[in-house]
Amino acid sequence: MAEKIKLYDTSKCTGCRACQLACKQWNALPAGQTYNAGTYQNPPDLQSNTWMLIRFQEMSNGNGDVKWLFRKDACMHCTDAACIKVCPSGALFRTKYGSVALDRDKCIGCKECISACPFDVPRYDPVTDKIAKCDLCFSRIDRGMEPACVKACPTGALSFGDKDEMIARAHARVKELGGDANVYGDQFVGGTHMLYVLTEKPDVYDELPERPRVPLTVIAWKDWFKPLTLLAAGGVLAGSFIHYLTHGPKDTSGDDQAGGEGGE
Amino acid sequence: MIPKKGMIKSTDAFERLVHWWLAITCIILILTGLGMMFHSFNFLGTPLGGLKNLKLVHNFTGLLFAPALFFAILIWWREAGVFKMPEDLEWIKVAGGYLWHVDDVPETGKYNPGQKAFFLAVAIFGILMVASGLIMWFPLSLPSGLVQWMYPLHALGMLVIFPFVLVHIYLGTIGVPGSARAIFTGYVTRSWAEKQCPGWLKEMEEEGRLEIYGEEKEEAAHG
Ligand code: HEM
Ligand code: SF4
Ligand code: SF4
Repeated sequence: MAEKIKLYDTSKCTGCRACQLACKQWNALPAGQTYNAGTYQNPPDLQSNTWMLIRFQEMSNGNGDVKWLFRKDACMHCTDAACIKVCPSGALFRTKYGSVALDRDKCIGCKECISACPFDVPRYDPVTDKIAKCDLCFSRIDRGMEPACVKACPTGALSFGDKDEMIARAHARVKELGGDANVYGDQFVGGTHMLYVLTEKPDVYDELPERPRVPLTVIAWKDWFKPLTLLAAGGVLAGSFIHYLTHGPKDTSGDDQAGGEGGE
Repeated sequence: MIPKKGMIKSTDAFERLVHWWLAITCIILILTGLGMMFHSFNFLGTPLGGLKNLKLVHNFTGLLFAPALFFAILIWWREAGVFKMPEDLEWIKVAGGYLWHVDDVPETGKYNPGQKAFFLAVAIFGILMVASGLIMWFPLSLPSGLVQWMYPLHALGMLVIFPFVLVHIYLGTIGVPGSARAIFTGYVTRSWAEKQCPGWLKEMEEEGRLEIYGEEKEEAAHG
Protein backbone atom coordinates (compact mmCIF):
# COMPACT_ATOMS: atom_id res chain seq x y z
CA MET A 1 0.00 0.00 0.00
CA ALA A 2 1.41 3.31 -1.00
CA GLU A 3 2.10 5.93 1.62
CA LYS A 4 -0.29 8.86 1.60
CA ILE A 5 0.27 12.54 2.21
CA LYS A 6 -2.09 15.35 3.10
CA LEU A 7 -0.95 18.56 1.47
CA TYR A 8 -1.90 21.94 2.89
CA ASP A 9 -1.27 24.98 0.72
CA THR A 10 -1.32 28.16 2.84
CA SER A 11 -1.58 30.33 -0.27
CA LYS A 12 -5.01 28.92 -1.00
CA CYS A 13 -6.33 28.87 2.57
CA THR A 14 -8.93 31.51 3.41
CA GLY A 15 -9.22 30.60 7.08
CA CYS A 16 -12.85 29.50 6.70
CA ARG A 17 -12.29 26.63 9.13
CA ALA A 18 -14.53 24.20 7.28
CA CYS A 19 -11.78 21.62 7.92
CA GLN A 20 -11.73 22.36 11.63
CA LEU A 21 -15.46 21.78 11.84
CA ALA A 22 -15.40 18.70 9.64
CA CYS A 23 -12.76 17.23 11.95
CA LYS A 24 -14.97 17.77 14.97
CA GLN A 25 -17.94 16.33 13.16
CA TRP A 26 -16.32 13.18 11.84
CA ASN A 27 -14.57 12.43 15.11
CA ALA A 28 -17.62 13.36 17.21
CA LEU A 29 -15.72 15.93 19.22
CA PRO A 30 -17.98 18.32 21.13
CA ALA A 31 -17.15 22.01 21.24
CA GLY A 32 -15.97 23.46 24.50
CA GLN A 33 -16.61 26.86 26.04
CA THR A 34 -14.11 29.31 24.61
CA TYR A 35 -13.28 32.96 25.11
CA ASN A 36 -12.23 35.92 22.99
CA ALA A 37 -8.47 36.17 23.14
CA GLY A 38 -8.33 39.08 20.75
CA THR A 39 -7.96 36.94 17.66
CA TYR A 40 -10.15 34.99 15.28
CA GLN A 41 -8.21 31.90 16.24
CA ASN A 42 -10.58 29.76 18.21
CA PRO A 43 -10.07 27.79 20.37
CA PRO A 44 -6.73 29.29 21.38
CA ASP A 45 -4.81 26.02 21.06
CA LEU A 46 -5.14 22.33 20.28
CA GLN A 47 -7.21 20.50 22.89
CA SER A 48 -8.10 16.94 23.68
CA ASN A 49 -11.32 17.57 21.74
CA THR A 50 -9.78 19.83 19.07
CA TRP A 51 -7.36 17.77 17.05
CA MET A 52 -6.72 20.43 14.45
CA LEU A 53 -7.18 24.13 14.26
CA ILE A 54 -6.43 27.00 11.94
CA ARG A 55 -3.97 29.38 13.52
CA PHE A 56 -4.67 33.04 12.69
CA GLN A 57 -1.64 35.29 12.76
CA GLU A 58 -1.35 38.95 11.84
CA MET A 59 1.88 39.87 10.11
CA SER A 60 3.02 43.41 9.45
CA ASN A 61 5.04 43.84 6.29
CA GLY A 62 6.75 46.97 7.62
CA ASN A 63 4.89 49.66 5.66
CA GLY A 64 1.69 49.70 7.64
CA ASP A 65 0.02 46.82 5.83
CA VAL A 66 -1.10 43.83 7.74
CA LYS A 67 -1.27 40.38 6.26
CA TRP A 68 -3.17 37.46 7.66
CA LEU A 69 -1.32 34.19 7.89
CA PHE A 70 -3.26 30.97 8.29
CA ARG A 71 -1.77 27.69 9.35
CA LYS A 72 -3.54 24.40 9.85
CA ASP A 73 -2.05 22.97 13.03
CA ALA A 74 -2.40 19.24 13.70
CA CYS A 75 -0.34 16.08 13.89
CA MET A 76 2.31 16.06 11.15
CA HIS A 77 2.43 12.25 10.93
CA CYS A 78 6.21 12.05 11.11
CA THR A 79 8.09 9.14 9.59
CA ASP A 80 10.53 9.25 12.52
CA ALA A 81 7.71 9.74 14.98
CA ALA A 82 9.05 10.50 18.45
CA CYS A 83 5.63 9.71 19.89
CA ILE A 84 5.67 6.12 18.59
CA LYS A 85 9.22 5.70 19.81
CA VAL A 86 8.34 6.54 23.40
CA CYS A 87 4.83 5.08 23.68
CA PRO A 88 5.19 2.19 26.18
CA SER A 89 1.90 0.52 25.35
CA GLY A 90 2.01 0.48 21.56
CA ALA A 91 -1.12 2.66 21.55
CA LEU A 92 0.49 4.95 19.00
CA PHE A 93 1.27 3.07 15.83
CA ARG A 94 2.23 3.56 12.22
CA THR A 95 -0.42 2.65 9.70
CA LYS A 96 0.29 1.18 6.29
CA TYR A 97 -0.37 4.64 4.87
CA GLY A 98 2.56 6.09 6.79
CA SER A 99 0.27 8.03 9.11
CA VAL A 100 0.42 7.80 12.91
CA ALA A 101 -2.78 6.51 14.46
CA LEU A 102 -3.85 5.87 18.05
CA ASP A 103 -5.44 2.80 19.58
CA ARG A 104 -7.25 4.49 22.42
CA ASP A 105 -7.98 1.26 24.27
CA LYS A 106 -4.26 0.65 24.68
CA CYS A 107 -3.34 4.15 25.86
CA ILE A 108 -2.41 4.22 29.57
CA GLY A 109 -2.35 8.00 29.87
CA CYS A 110 1.33 8.16 30.77
CA LYS A 111 1.79 11.36 28.72
CA GLU A 112 5.23 10.33 27.50
CA CYS A 113 4.23 11.19 23.92
CA ILE A 114 3.38 14.75 24.99
CA SER A 115 6.93 15.54 26.09
CA ALA A 116 8.40 13.77 23.07
CA CYS A 117 6.48 15.35 20.17
CA PRO A 118 8.54 18.08 18.47
CA PHE A 119 5.32 19.73 17.24
CA ASP A 120 3.54 19.79 20.62
CA VAL A 121 0.55 17.87 19.28
CA PRO A 122 -0.80 15.20 21.67
CA ARG A 123 -3.24 16.47 24.26
CA TYR A 124 -4.21 14.78 27.52
CA ASP A 125 -7.85 14.27 28.47
CA PRO A 126 -8.12 13.95 32.25
CA VAL A 127 -11.67 12.58 32.01
CA THR A 128 -10.72 9.48 30.01
CA ASP A 129 -7.07 9.48 31.24
CA LYS A 130 -5.95 9.10 27.64
CA ILE A 131 -4.36 11.28 25.03
CA ALA A 132 -5.96 12.44 21.79
CA LYS A 133 -4.65 13.64 18.46
CA CYS A 134 -5.36 13.65 14.73
CA ASP A 135 -5.08 10.16 13.22
CA LEU A 136 -5.35 11.35 9.62
CA CYS A 137 -8.90 9.95 9.65
CA PHE A 138 -7.66 6.38 9.72
CA SER A 139 -11.25 5.14 9.73
CA ARG A 140 -11.83 6.99 6.43
CA ILE A 141 -8.60 6.51 4.54
CA ASP A 142 -8.66 2.80 5.32
CA ARG A 143 -11.93 2.67 3.37
CA GLY A 144 -10.55 4.57 0.42
CA MET A 145 -11.94 7.97 1.42
CA GLU A 146 -10.00 11.16 1.91
CA PRO A 147 -9.70 12.70 5.39
CA ALA A 148 -12.75 14.68 6.52
CA CYS A 149 -10.85 17.99 6.50
CA VAL A 150 -9.74 17.49 2.90
CA LYS A 151 -13.27 16.61 1.86
CA ALA A 152 -14.61 19.80 3.45
CA CYS A 153 -12.05 22.25 2.06
CA PRO A 154 -13.79 24.51 -0.48
CA THR A 155 -10.73 26.25 -1.92
CA GLY A 156 -8.43 23.39 -2.82
CA ALA A 157 -5.95 24.32 -0.10
CA LEU A 158 -6.11 20.72 1.10
CA SER A 159 -5.46 17.69 -1.01
CA PHE A 160 -4.71 14.06 -0.29
CA GLY A 161 -2.94 11.44 -2.35
CA ASP A 162 0.06 9.24 -2.91
CA LYS A 163 3.27 10.38 -1.26
CA ASP A 164 5.47 10.98 -4.30
CA GLU A 165 2.74 12.70 -6.19
CA MET A 166 1.97 15.06 -3.32
CA ILE A 167 5.64 15.94 -2.76
CA ALA A 168 6.01 16.72 -6.48
CA ARG A 169 2.85 18.79 -6.41
CA ALA A 170 4.08 20.77 -3.38
CA HIS A 171 7.39 21.60 -5.04
CA ALA A 172 5.70 22.57 -8.29
CA ARG A 173 3.41 24.92 -6.37
CA VAL A 174 6.35 26.52 -4.55
CA LYS A 175 8.05 27.17 -7.88
CA GLU A 176 4.88 28.77 -9.14
CA LEU A 177 4.57 30.99 -6.06
CA GLY A 178 8.23 32.04 -5.98
CA GLY A 179 9.52 34.47 -3.34
CA ASP A 180 9.80 33.04 0.17
CA ALA A 181 7.45 30.17 -0.57
CA ASN A 182 8.76 26.80 0.55
CA VAL A 183 7.83 23.20 1.16
CA TYR A 184 7.74 22.32 4.84
CA GLY A 185 7.80 18.72 6.00
CA ASP A 186 9.75 16.57 3.58
CA GLN A 187 13.20 17.54 4.91
CA PHE A 188 13.03 16.49 8.56
CA VAL A 189 11.87 13.73 10.95
CA GLY A 190 12.17 11.36 8.02
CA GLY A 191 9.52 13.28 6.13
CA THR A 192 6.05 14.12 7.43
CA HIS A 193 2.77 12.84 6.04
CA MET A 194 1.24 16.26 6.37
CA LEU A 195 3.05 18.61 4.04
CA TYR A 196 2.84 22.39 4.02
CA VAL A 197 3.30 24.84 1.20
CA LEU A 198 4.20 27.96 3.17
CA THR A 199 4.15 31.41 1.60
CA GLU A 200 6.55 32.76 4.24
CA LYS A 201 9.73 31.33 5.77
CA PRO A 202 8.99 28.81 8.54
CA ASP A 203 10.34 31.05 11.32
CA VAL A 204 7.65 33.63 10.52
CA TYR A 205 4.88 31.31 11.71
CA ASP A 206 3.89 31.17 15.35
CA GLU A 207 4.45 27.86 17.14
CA LEU A 208 6.12 26.30 14.12
CA PRO A 209 9.54 24.74 14.80
CA GLU A 210 12.10 25.76 12.20
CA ARG A 211 14.12 22.56 12.37
CA PRO A 212 12.00 19.97 14.14
CA ARG A 213 13.71 16.75 15.14
CA VAL A 214 13.30 13.78 17.39
CA PRO A 215 14.56 15.23 20.70
CA LEU A 216 18.04 14.17 21.80
CA THR A 217 16.48 13.08 25.08
CA VAL A 218 14.31 10.55 23.23
CA ILE A 219 17.31 9.27 21.25
CA ALA A 220 19.42 8.84 24.40
CA TRP A 221 16.52 7.12 26.14
CA LYS A 222 15.23 4.80 23.44
CA ASP A 223 18.19 4.32 21.08
CA TRP A 224 21.01 4.17 23.61
CA PHE A 225 19.97 3.34 27.17
CA LYS A 226 17.12 1.00 26.31
CA PRO A 227 19.12 -1.46 24.16
CA LEU A 228 22.11 -1.09 26.49
CA THR A 229 19.95 -2.16 29.42
CA LEU A 230 19.09 -5.39 27.66
CA LEU A 231 22.69 -5.91 26.61
CA ALA A 232 24.08 -5.23 30.09
CA ALA A 233 21.51 -7.37 31.88
CA GLY A 234 22.01 -10.23 29.43
CA GLY A 235 25.78 -9.87 29.59
CA VAL A 236 25.79 -9.95 33.36
CA LEU A 237 23.57 -13.03 33.49
CA ALA A 238 25.74 -14.87 30.99
CA GLY A 239 28.87 -13.61 32.74
CA SER A 240 27.68 -14.88 36.13
CA PHE A 241 26.88 -18.28 34.67
CA ILE A 242 30.26 -18.55 32.97
CA HIS A 243 31.95 -17.32 36.15
CA TYR A 244 30.22 -20.03 38.15
CA LEU A 245 31.30 -22.70 35.69
CA THR A 246 34.90 -21.62 35.18
CA HIS A 247 35.99 -19.78 38.31
CA GLY A 248 33.50 -21.45 40.59
CA PRO A 249 31.90 -20.18 43.78
CA LYS A 250 34.12 -18.69 46.41
CA ASP A 251 35.24 -21.11 49.08
CA THR A 252 34.04 -19.61 52.34
CA SER A 253 34.16 -22.79 54.35
CA GLY A 254 36.70 -23.40 57.03
CA ASP A 255 37.52 -25.95 59.67
CA ASP A 256 35.95 -23.99 62.49
CA GLN A 257 33.23 -25.66 64.52
CA ALA A 258 30.54 -23.32 63.18
CA GLY A 259 31.17 -24.66 59.70
CA GLY A 260 28.27 -26.40 58.09
CA GLU A 261 28.59 -24.71 54.73
CA GLY A 262 26.71 -25.77 51.70
CA GLY A 263 23.71 -24.35 50.01
CA GLU A 264 20.70 -23.26 51.91
CA MET B 1 18.81 -21.72 58.25
CA ILE B 2 18.72 -21.51 62.01
CA PRO B 3 22.06 -20.11 63.25
CA LYS B 4 24.41 -22.56 64.91
CA LYS B 5 26.42 -22.07 68.04
CA GLY B 6 29.56 -20.07 67.36
CA MET B 7 28.21 -18.12 64.42
CA ILE B 8 28.89 -14.43 64.21
CA LYS B 9 26.29 -11.72 64.11
CA SER B 10 26.76 -9.52 61.09
CA THR B 11 23.46 -7.66 60.65
CA ASP B 12 20.79 -6.50 63.08
CA ALA B 13 17.06 -6.82 62.61
CA PHE B 14 16.58 -3.27 61.34
CA GLU B 15 19.27 -3.71 58.70
CA ARG B 16 17.63 -6.89 57.48
CA LEU B 17 14.21 -5.28 57.43
CA VAL B 18 15.46 -2.31 55.42
CA HIS B 19 17.38 -4.61 53.09
CA TRP B 20 14.30 -6.62 52.16
CA TRP B 21 12.05 -3.61 52.01
CA LEU B 22 14.48 -2.02 49.56
CA ALA B 23 15.10 -5.25 47.66
CA ILE B 24 11.45 -6.18 47.18
CA THR B 25 10.37 -2.70 46.10
CA CYS B 26 13.39 -2.46 43.81
CA ILE B 27 12.63 -5.78 42.12
CA ILE B 28 8.98 -4.82 41.65
CA LEU B 29 10.14 -1.52 40.14
CA ILE B 30 12.53 -3.31 37.79
CA LEU B 31 9.92 -5.82 36.63
CA THR B 32 7.17 -3.26 36.15
CA GLY B 33 9.70 -0.91 34.55
CA LEU B 34 10.66 -3.64 32.08
CA GLY B 35 6.97 -4.02 31.28
CA MET B 36 6.88 -0.41 30.14
CA MET B 37 10.31 -0.20 28.58
CA PHE B 38 9.94 -3.07 26.11
CA HIS B 39 6.80 -3.87 24.17
CA SER B 40 7.85 -7.50 24.34
CA PHE B 41 7.48 -7.28 28.14
CA ASN B 42 4.06 -5.59 28.02
CA PHE B 43 2.61 -8.97 28.97
CA LEU B 44 3.91 -8.42 32.52
CA GLY B 45 0.90 -6.14 32.90
CA THR B 46 -1.59 -8.90 32.10
CA PRO B 47 -1.70 -10.49 35.58
CA LEU B 48 -2.30 -7.04 37.01
CA GLY B 49 -5.21 -6.41 34.67
CA GLY B 50 -3.42 -4.38 32.05
CA LEU B 51 -0.56 -2.03 31.45
CA LYS B 52 -2.30 0.86 33.14
CA ASN B 53 -2.38 -1.02 36.42
CA LEU B 54 1.22 -2.01 35.92
CA LYS B 55 2.08 1.67 35.61
CA LEU B 56 0.14 2.43 38.82
CA VAL B 57 1.87 -0.41 40.67
CA HIS B 58 5.21 0.98 39.48
CA ASN B 59 4.39 4.50 40.57
CA PHE B 60 3.09 3.59 44.02
CA THR B 61 5.88 1.09 44.63
CA GLY B 62 8.18 4.02 43.86
CA LEU B 63 6.65 5.81 46.84
CA LEU B 64 7.51 2.83 49.07
CA PHE B 65 11.00 2.57 47.59
CA ALA B 66 11.90 6.12 48.61
CA PRO B 67 11.79 5.68 52.43
CA ALA B 68 13.59 2.31 52.17
CA LEU B 69 16.34 4.03 50.23
CA PHE B 70 16.50 6.77 52.84
CA PHE B 71 17.05 4.28 55.67
CA ALA B 72 19.49 2.22 53.60
CA ILE B 73 21.68 5.25 53.02
CA LEU B 74 21.43 6.17 56.70
CA ILE B 75 22.45 2.68 57.81
CA TRP B 76 25.17 1.82 55.34
CA TRP B 77 26.87 4.95 54.08
CA ARG B 78 29.64 4.79 56.69
CA GLU B 79 30.55 1.18 56.05
CA ALA B 80 29.74 0.98 52.34
CA GLY B 81 29.75 4.54 51.11
CA VAL B 82 33.40 5.57 51.49
CA PHE B 83 36.38 4.04 49.79
CA LYS B 84 39.42 3.50 52.00
CA MET B 85 42.66 4.19 50.22
CA PRO B 86 45.02 2.59 49.45
CA GLU B 87 43.61 -0.82 50.54
CA ASP B 88 40.54 -0.52 48.35
CA LEU B 89 42.62 0.42 45.32
CA GLU B 90 44.83 -2.63 45.83
CA TRP B 91 41.70 -4.77 46.07
CA ILE B 92 40.32 -3.29 42.85
CA LYS B 93 43.61 -4.01 41.04
CA VAL B 94 43.18 -7.73 41.66
CA ALA B 95 39.37 -7.55 41.32
CA GLY B 96 39.17 -8.96 44.84
CA GLY B 97 40.28 -12.35 43.54
CA TYR B 98 36.87 -12.84 41.97
CA LEU B 99 38.01 -13.05 38.36
CA TRP B 100 41.35 -14.82 38.43
CA HIS B 101 43.40 -16.59 41.05
CA VAL B 102 45.06 -14.25 43.53
CA ASP B 103 47.22 -15.54 46.36
CA ASP B 104 46.87 -12.59 48.69
CA VAL B 105 43.70 -10.57 48.39
CA PRO B 106 44.00 -7.29 50.30
CA GLU B 107 41.94 -7.31 53.47
CA THR B 108 38.63 -5.49 53.45
CA GLY B 109 36.42 -4.18 56.18
CA LYS B 110 32.72 -4.92 56.42
CA TYR B 111 32.20 -4.25 52.71
CA ASN B 112 34.60 -4.66 49.84
CA PRO B 113 35.00 -2.07 47.04
CA GLY B 114 32.66 -4.03 44.79
CA GLN B 115 29.94 -3.88 47.39
CA LYS B 116 30.72 -0.22 47.98
CA ALA B 117 30.30 0.45 44.27
CA PHE B 118 26.93 -1.30 44.37
CA PHE B 119 25.85 0.69 47.41
CA LEU B 120 26.90 3.97 45.82
CA ALA B 121 25.19 3.12 42.52
CA VAL B 122 21.93 2.30 44.26
CA ALA B 123 22.18 5.33 46.54
CA ILE B 124 22.98 7.87 43.84
CA PHE B 125 20.85 6.48 41.05
CA GLY B 126 18.11 5.58 43.52
CA ILE B 127 17.78 9.23 44.48
CA LEU B 128 17.76 10.16 40.80
CA MET B 129 15.10 7.51 40.13
CA VAL B 130 12.84 8.93 42.83
CA ALA B 131 13.32 12.51 41.62
CA SER B 132 12.89 11.74 37.93
CA GLY B 133 10.08 9.27 38.58
CA LEU B 134 8.02 11.78 40.54
CA ILE B 135 8.41 14.36 37.77
CA MET B 136 7.51 11.79 35.11
CA TRP B 137 4.40 10.92 37.06
CA PHE B 138 3.13 14.49 36.75
CA PRO B 139 4.80 15.70 33.58
CA LEU B 140 2.35 18.45 32.71
CA SER B 141 3.00 20.41 35.89
CA LEU B 142 6.57 21.34 34.92
CA PRO B 143 8.21 22.88 31.84
CA SER B 144 8.60 20.22 29.16
CA GLY B 145 12.24 21.17 28.60
CA LEU B 146 12.95 19.85 32.09
CA VAL B 147 10.55 16.90 31.97
CA GLN B 148 12.13 15.63 28.74
CA TRP B 149 15.43 14.99 30.51
CA MET B 150 13.83 12.88 33.23
CA TYR B 151 13.08 10.01 30.84
CA PRO B 152 16.66 9.32 29.68
CA LEU B 153 17.82 9.84 33.27
CA HIS B 154 15.33 7.24 34.48
CA ALA B 155 16.45 4.87 31.72
CA LEU B 156 20.10 5.45 32.64
CA GLY B 157 19.27 4.59 36.24
CA MET B 158 17.69 1.36 35.04
CA LEU B 159 20.79 0.62 32.95
CA VAL B 160 22.98 0.96 36.04
CA ILE B 161 20.76 -0.55 38.74
CA PHE B 162 19.33 -3.60 36.95
CA PRO B 163 22.62 -5.33 35.97
CA PHE B 164 24.15 -4.42 39.34
CA VAL B 165 21.22 -6.04 41.12
CA LEU B 166 21.73 -9.22 39.08
CA VAL B 167 25.41 -9.38 40.06
CA HIS B 168 24.43 -8.69 43.66
CA ILE B 169 21.95 -11.57 43.65
CA TYR B 170 24.48 -13.95 42.08
CA LEU B 171 27.23 -13.11 44.57
CA GLY B 172 24.82 -13.04 47.50
CA THR B 173 23.61 -16.56 46.78
CA ILE B 174 25.49 -19.23 44.83
CA GLY B 175 28.52 -17.07 43.99
CA VAL B 176 29.63 -16.73 47.60
CA PRO B 177 28.00 -19.53 49.59
CA GLY B 178 27.03 -18.65 53.13
CA SER B 179 26.29 -15.00 52.36
CA ALA B 180 22.53 -15.17 52.12
CA ARG B 181 22.13 -16.23 55.74
CA ALA B 182 23.65 -12.92 56.81
CA ILE B 183 20.63 -11.12 55.53
CA PHE B 184 18.05 -13.75 56.56
CA THR B 185 19.18 -14.74 60.05
CA GLY B 186 21.79 -12.09 60.72
CA TYR B 187 24.48 -14.70 61.49
CA VAL B 188 27.44 -15.91 59.41
CA THR B 189 30.07 -18.53 60.03
CA ARG B 190 33.42 -17.46 61.37
CA SER B 191 35.20 -18.77 58.31
CA TRP B 192 32.86 -16.79 56.06
CA ALA B 193 33.61 -13.63 58.03
CA GLU B 194 37.36 -14.33 57.91
CA LYS B 195 37.20 -14.51 54.14
CA GLN B 196 34.61 -11.83 53.43
CA CYS B 197 35.27 -9.15 56.01
CA PRO B 198 38.53 -9.90 57.85
CA GLY B 199 39.22 -6.28 58.72
CA TRP B 200 35.82 -5.88 60.29
CA LEU B 201 36.14 -9.15 62.20
CA LYS B 202 39.48 -8.13 63.72
CA GLU B 203 38.19 -4.71 64.65
CA MET B 204 35.10 -6.13 66.32
CA GLU B 205 37.13 -8.66 68.24
CA GLU B 206 39.63 -6.09 69.38
CA GLU B 207 36.86 -3.82 70.56
CA GLY B 208 35.05 -6.73 72.16
CA ARG B 209 31.87 -5.98 70.28
CA LEU B 210 31.56 -9.27 68.45
CA GLU B 211 28.31 -11.09 69.11
CA ILE B 212 28.49 -14.84 68.90
CA TYR B 213 25.43 -17.05 68.71
CA GLY B 214 24.91 -19.10 71.83
CA GLU B 215 27.34 -17.06 73.93
CA GLU B 216 26.69 -14.20 76.24
CA LYS B 217 27.83 -10.90 74.82
CA GLU B 218 30.27 -10.38 77.68
CA GLU B 219 31.96 -13.70 77.04
CA ALA B 220 33.01 -12.60 73.62
CA ALA B 221 34.72 -9.55 75.02
CA HIS B 222 38.46 -9.82 75.30
CA GLY B 223 39.27 -6.46 76.67
C1 HEM C 1 14.86 1.10 41.41
C2 HEM C 1 14.12 2.08 41.03
C3 HEM C 1 13.40 2.17 39.71
C4 HEM C 1 13.58 1.48 38.55
C5 HEM C 1 14.59 0.40 38.27
C6 HEM C 1 12.64 2.00 37.58
C7 HEM C 1 12.54 1.58 36.28
C8 HEM C 1 11.69 2.14 35.34
C9 HEM C 1 11.66 1.78 33.96
C10 HEM C 1 12.55 0.74 33.30
C11 HEM C 1 10.69 2.52 33.35
C12 HEM C 1 10.28 2.45 31.90
C13 HEM C 1 10.96 3.53 31.13
C14 HEM C 1 10.76 3.35 29.67
O1 HEM C 1 9.61 3.35 29.22
O2 HEM C 1 11.78 3.21 28.97
C15 HEM C 1 10.12 3.37 34.34
C16 HEM C 1 9.12 4.29 34.12
C17 HEM C 1 8.60 5.13 35.09
N1 HEM C 1 8.94 5.16 36.43
FE1 HEM C 1 10.40 4.07 37.28
N2 HEM C 1 11.89 2.99 38.17
C18 HEM C 1 12.33 3.12 39.47
C19 HEM C 1 11.86 3.99 40.41
C20 HEM C 1 10.80 4.86 40.22
C21 HEM C 1 10.31 5.75 41.22
C22 HEM C 1 10.87 5.87 42.63
C23 HEM C 1 9.28 6.43 40.66
C24 HEM C 1 8.44 7.51 41.34
C25 HEM C 1 7.37 7.32 41.94
C26 HEM C 1 9.12 5.99 39.29
C27 HEM C 1 8.21 6.45 38.38
C28 HEM C 1 8.18 6.12 37.04
C29 HEM C 1 7.32 6.73 36.07
C30 HEM C 1 6.32 7.85 36.35
C31 HEM C 1 7.59 6.11 34.84
C32 HEM C 1 7.00 6.44 33.47
C33 HEM C 1 5.88 5.58 33.16
C34 HEM C 1 4.69 6.09 33.88
O3 HEM C 1 4.14 7.14 33.50
O4 HEM C 1 4.31 5.45 34.84
N3 HEM C 1 10.06 5.02 39.05
N4 HEM C 1 10.74 3.12 35.55
S1 SF4 D 1 3.63 15.41 15.03
FE1 SF4 D 1 3.94 14.64 17.10
S2 SF4 D 1 2.14 13.37 17.47
FE2 SF4 D 1 2.26 13.66 15.22
S3 SF4 D 1 3.48 11.90 14.48
FE3 SF4 D 1 4.95 13.58 14.83
S4 SF4 D 1 5.66 13.19 16.94
FE4 SF4 D 1 3.78 12.01 16.69
S1 SF4 E 1 -0.16 8.73 26.76
FE1 SF4 E 1 -0.98 6.97 25.64
S2 SF4 E 1 -0.40 7.28 23.52
FE2 SF4 E 1 0.87 8.70 24.74
S3 SF4 E 1 2.79 7.55 25.14
FE3 SF4 E 1 1.42 7.12 26.87
S4 SF4 E 1 0.32 5.24 26.30
FE4 SF4 E 1 1.23 6.05 24.42
